[in-house]
Amino acid sequence: MKVSVAVNGRCEELDVAPATLLVTLLRETLGLTGTHVGCDTSQCGACTVHLNGRAVKSCTMLAVQADGADIQTIEGLSDGATLHPVQEAFRNCHALQCGFCTPGMIMRVVDLIGQHDTLDRQTVRAELEGNLCRCTGYHNIVDAVLEAHAAVHG
Amino acid sequence: MAEATARADTAALDGGIGAPVRRREDQRFISGTGTYTDDLNQPGQLYACFLRSPYARARIGAIDLSEALAMPGVIAAFTGQDTAADGLGDLPCGWLVKQKDGSDMVSAPHPPLAVTQTNYVGEPYGLVIAETAEQAQLAAEAVLADFDELDAVVDPAAATGSDQIHEGVPGNLAYDWELGDAAATDAAMAQAAHVTRMTLHNNRLIPNALEPRAAIGSFDPGTGDYTLYTTSQNPHLERLVLSAFVQVAPEHKLRVVAPDVGGGFGSKIFIYAEETAVIWAAGKLKRPVKWTASRSESFLADAHGRDHVTTAELALDDRGRFTALRVRTTANLGAYLSTFGSSVPTYLYGTLLAGQYRTPNIHVAVEGVYTNTSPVDAYRGAGRPEATYVVERIVDQAARELGEDPAALRRLNMIRPQDFPYDTPVALTYDIGDYEASLNRALDAIDYPGFAGRQSEARERGCRRGIGLACYIEACGLAPSKLATALGAGVGLYESGEVRVNPTGSVTVFTGSHSHGQGHETTFAQVVAAQLGIPMDVVEVVHGDTGRVEFGLGTYGSRSLAVGGSALVKATDKVIAKAQLIAAHLLEVDAEQLDFADGEFRVRDSNQAISFGDVAFAAYVPSNYPDDLEPGLSEKAFYDPENFTYPA
Repeated sequence: MKVSVAVNGRCEELDVAPATLLVTLLRETLGLTGTHVGCDTSQCGACTVHLNGRAVKSCTMLAVQADGADIQTIEGLSDGATLHPVQEAFRNCHALQCGFCTPGMIMRVVDLIGQHDTLDRQTVRAELEGNLCRCTGYHNIVDAVLEAHAAVHG
Repeated sequence: MAEATARADTAALDGGIGAPVRRREDQRFISGTGTYTDDLNQPGQLYACFLRSPYARARIGAIDLSEALAMPGVIAAFTGQDTAADGLGDLPCGWLVKQKDGSDMVSAPHPPLAVTQTNYVGEPYGLVIAETAEQAQLAAEAVLADFDELDAVVDPAAATGSDQIHEGVPGNLAYDWELGDAAATDAAMAQAAHVTRMTLHNNRLIPNALEPRAAIGSFDPGTGDYTLYTTSQNPHLERLVLSAFVQVAPEHKLRVVAPDVGGGFGSKIFIYAEETAVIWAAGKLKRPVKWTASRSESFLADAHGRDHVTTAELALDDRGRFTALRVRTTANLGAYLSTFGSSVPTYLYGTLLAGQYRTPNIHVAVEGVYTNTSPVDAYRGAGRPEATYVVERIVDQAARELGEDPAALRRLNMIRPQDFPYDTPVALTYDIGDYEASLNRALDAIDYPGFAGRQSEARERGCRRGIGLACYIEACGLAPSKLATALGAGVGLYESGEVRVNPTGSVTVFTGSHSHGQGHETTFAQVVAAQLGIPMDVVEVVHGDTGRVEFGLGTYGSRSLAVGGSALVKATDKVIAKAQLIAAHLLEVDAEQLDFADGEFRVRDSNQAISFGDVAFAAYVPSNYPDDLEPGLSEKAFYDPENFTYPA
């Protein structure tokens, strides 16, 4: 089936099998391996990308459902050498260890920061319930979210 | 918090070890440019899908692969019969536990792919290989296998009285092991003013690293070289076992690479069936073969943790002093002995039953049993948390039974600073500690004296509030080889390090430790840079590749910095010693006249000095060297700890 998507600002016309998942299209067809598969059941959020500006789990969506959409992955988040404030905050707050959950976590956080004018720790934790991190215990991730929120909202 | 966490990218020279720096590996992880095993692909790559037992225990009947083999894209299908016929060896358990009576533990054969019988749900008995992952999966579903289901043994407490799982293992007993003085413990129990008794189950769990296990095996028919990219915490051990025991390929023709690894928690220490079958199949088919576990497969086929059923008795005298601890544990080892599964409920468990206390008499007996469940092996702390769970639960219960404050009862019995080094009754010598200081700090942090008030306030609101204390101690820095090998370990537990100074003065550090989240690329660079007095930026750390690193035992048991870091310090010392000889030659003085500090060799009581960088360059441009001075500046070291470290 034909799928037309814009991925990180670049238009792609692709022919995919009907059962192809969006994450498979990103990782296998386009080679964008920054988006990870941790559970293949929508639990862990490692596969989170943006679909028309909102965070979605790309392991739970067919590629054909993304037809016509604007998709952003972790690879498209930085503007050249300049990191996105969320990336900067994750690095600064030691909000990652093995790094496997990190791309999905960051994409989720970019979305949630955009959705909230103000944020507190409890809200951050509730908003991150769909993204699992096995290493950090989340404390530093919450720190990073608040630091990034402050940087974005001033 | 946020505003206080701005950190420098590199340690200031005078900051050195311990100065807060940003992790250098984070740049790739936050930008999606890390390289995990499943991110890799090779030309001509095929995909494997494993055939897994739907039964906990079943005899394997006829396996009809014909329909699967006829499906689109399918290249091959293999079963345990094929791997056995090809001479593929069993997966060994690397730690031989001696039983009470002095005999060896009973190790049931563990073929990588089940041949005649499956013994846990998810046990692989074959694999299908196709051009795409989807084709392999569809074909695997088309395999018709007959199973004769048998009664399964799943309850460890009942295992010794249940059907025998393995031929040659009566009572499903892998070992009956003990540690400590049984008679002295019995005698102290008999004289006790009070004995607290309890039974507890430390439940089984699944490690669940966020990155599922994955492997890509390849074979180069031109050179006969095998390469296995895999999610491993210890690639050299994987190479050793696959060559020496499983005999996939000779050690010098097999390279194992563990690139970025998304967490381990113990589960990626072990040598598993899937990685083994993938590299074997790549050799048979002469094409790369890739496998990536689904989360469901991780649940079934990663080694699990814990699963102890324990009865414990703590004896106290009339002043509340512990006089004896008796522990009886049945440890569920699962269907087969995993790579280090035998050592976890014995040497890593029984030895920690003293906890932080001066209990003079301790005896522990452990029955390790086979059941029809996934194999159990090291998980986060491995045996030591299980020991702490027993000790701290029973101490708390004793305090409740005696109406004592649980903190006060602990303080009364703790090993005191003046008692170190302290020989426990269960084989360890604790080096140093101040346990009461740690407890007091924790109690201050939670306003322990204010708890009663918080509890009654909660009760007024209709809520219940409780409090529990636990004082943890761990034997870290696995492990002194002398001790480990004397206790049955099949490998030494030293670590290797190599410090290679390049002609331009930059340094490439090779470590046998493996980072899967620990940040070694930063930490080890900081250690070596500080020692050499050079900027961190010019120190690169290489790990996780048997083709680049000489040897290593990998990362588990909180050993990387204590053991691997010490190897690097030792290697760096050798580099400095060699550089000093070169500096002495260049400055035309005796080496004894030189001091090394802040990255330069300085002649004592003189203005003469030469930088480490200049010495490095001169090491590779040996001008007029004396006969006994070799060119080059690269040193390696193996470090074997004398004791564990004991954080508490």
